[in-house]
Amino acid sequence: MITLTHFLVVSACIFCIGLYTVLAKRNAIMILVGIELMINAAILNFVAFGRYDKINYSGQVFALFAIVLAAASVAVGLAIILNVYRHYKTINPDQITDLRD
Amino acid sequence: MEGLTTQISTLLDHIMVSIPVFKPELILITAFIASIFSSLFIDQRWKQGSLSFALVGIMLSAYYVHAQLGQTQTGFFGMLQIDALSVYARLIILGLLLPILFLIQQYAKDNGIKNLGEIYSILLAATVGMNLLTISTNWLMVFIAIETLSISSYILVGYFSENKKGTETAKIQSEATMKYVLFGSVCAAVMLYGLSLIYGFTGNLDFISIAHIQGLIAAPKVMSSIAILFVFVGIGFKLGFVPFHLWTPDVYQGAPTPITTFLSTVPKVAALILFQRLFESWTSTLFYFSELTMLFITVVGIVTMLVGNLIALRQSDTKRMMAYSSIGHTGFLLMAIISSASADYTTLLFYVTVYAIMTIGVFAIIQFLEKNIGSTELAAYSGLGKSNPLLFTVFTLLGIALIGLPPTAGFIGKLLVFTATFDLYQHTKDIPILLLLITGALTSVISLFYYFKIPLFAFLRKGESTAPVLPVNSVAYFIAVGCGIAMLLYGLFPNLLSGLFS
Repeated sequence: MITLTHFLVVSACIFCIGLYTVLAKRNAIMILVGIELMINAAILNFVAFGRYDKINYSGQVFALFAIVLAAASVAVGLAIILNVYRHYKTINPDQITDLRD
Repeated sequence: MEGLTTQISTLLDHIMVSIPVFKPELILITAFIASIFSSLFIDQRWKQGSLSFALVGIMLSAYYVHAQLGQTQTGFFGMLQIDALSVYARLIILGLLLPILFLIQQYAKDNGIKNLGEIYSILLAATVGMNLLTISTNWLMVFIAIETLSISSYILVGYFSENKKGTETAKIQSEATMKYVLFGSVCAAVMLYGLSLIYGFTGNLDFISIAHIQGLIAAPKVMSSIAILFVFVGIGFKLGFVPFHLWTPDVYQGAPTPITTFLSTVPKVAALILFQRLFESWTSTLFYFSELTMLFITVVGIVTMLVGNLIALRQSDTKRMMAYSSIGHTGFLLMAIISSASADYTTLLFYVTVYAIMTIGVFAIIQFLEKNIGSTELAAYSGLGKSNPLLFTVFTLLGIALIGLPPTAGFIGKLLVFTATFDLYQHTKDIPILLLLITGALTSVISLFYYFKIPLFAFLRKGESTAPVLPVNSVAYFIAVGCGIAMLLYGLFPNLLSGLFS
């Protein structure tokens, strides 16, 4: 029997993996992957909780919108990273430091 | 099946009835599409096509927003809430966009950039997002609005770096965009996770509803703390308070100056209104999560004012200095939120309007000088004050307004906020609020030192060569002078502005 707790634990694990990927930052694309993982963890949560919301299904609807918005922001993010690569010939955020105090 | 059909027809009826509530935003969406079409087909023959569509759209939208004044209504099953606060906020947002449109046009003209039709349409898309932020109390709408605004802002920051390939400016712009997009997406993802937890506790997405508050009261302390802090990550990113301010200096310095003008003023108004509603609803109880929200915002307000103003002291680039100054002002805006009594938003709206006008004025001057002397460094302004007295008098006046000294509107704004906070302190006798008050006063004094660097360099230092008399041929110049006059006028007659909000 898979209960709500299982879903929550899995999503918390996915969120932590995503957060680690972001914080380890060696490659801008990997950071985007980490962001995707974090968003998917949240979506999993929404769908799991949405099972108990039989009136409005807000959780399911929110999950759908979150998927669309995540896709849009990743598309913009990839375009911007491509633009950065053209200027710097690298996408390692640690080496792109013209702007700093 | 029978029941379902009747249900659908009532649902459709409700949606049809709600459409007029959404009219201002529908006009903006139409203008957005018209602006895209114009940039594709009309701009070759009539250069100002897309700009004109954007202008007409914004003005029509403002007209219909104004028509909603004085009536409280809801639409789309409570997704949209029109009240006086949202009407004023949207009028401020639309009004501030007008000078920004002209500043962008001037920037493109100065740098010989063609094909910038899309930038106006992206700006309109951002406006739709900001308008939605001010009229919604539903987390789904709020999240969509924040993402619309964020994605449009990323594109705005990076838009010009394609046009000037190979130059140093384009390189810096692309770096600023990358930092912005990565930081913004992470904050949005963390906020989404927090929202999913809050949805789990409450089963409801409307953050002012009773079910939502009850769910938060019943939630375990640790989990509700995590969820609330995660949600504040997303809002904190849009407002730019500590510790989510890290993107601000880099993006403000790297972005084209008119875009920096936009980022530092208009989205803050929208995020502030959302935060005001959230704060009012979440601190209305005496339970754990209300105390946490109150404590968090107070502490963050204190730290934000200190960090912003102290780091601004050692900046030599005006755009970067203004970025830290805007962080400091965000802390002050948090103080305005804490002190604003419910149903009286005059103080908050007055301060945010004044802040936006003076910031636009300063950035317009920075843009004008950047074009004429090719630098945003403070040292490059040496000696220019004597040859361009009017411009630098206005610059100094705007600096005085940002510090909050009389006779400018900045003084009146700060006075109103301090008075309201002091009243709150006398009412509650809370030590954190007293600390907030002291920090606000202290950091206003600190800010004096870096704003006065501008007249120091311009009037008292001598430049290497003879300072040139700059030609007055830019819209930016007139916008800056207009902002300076507005600051004096509203400072001497504050009722002109505060009378609009009551």
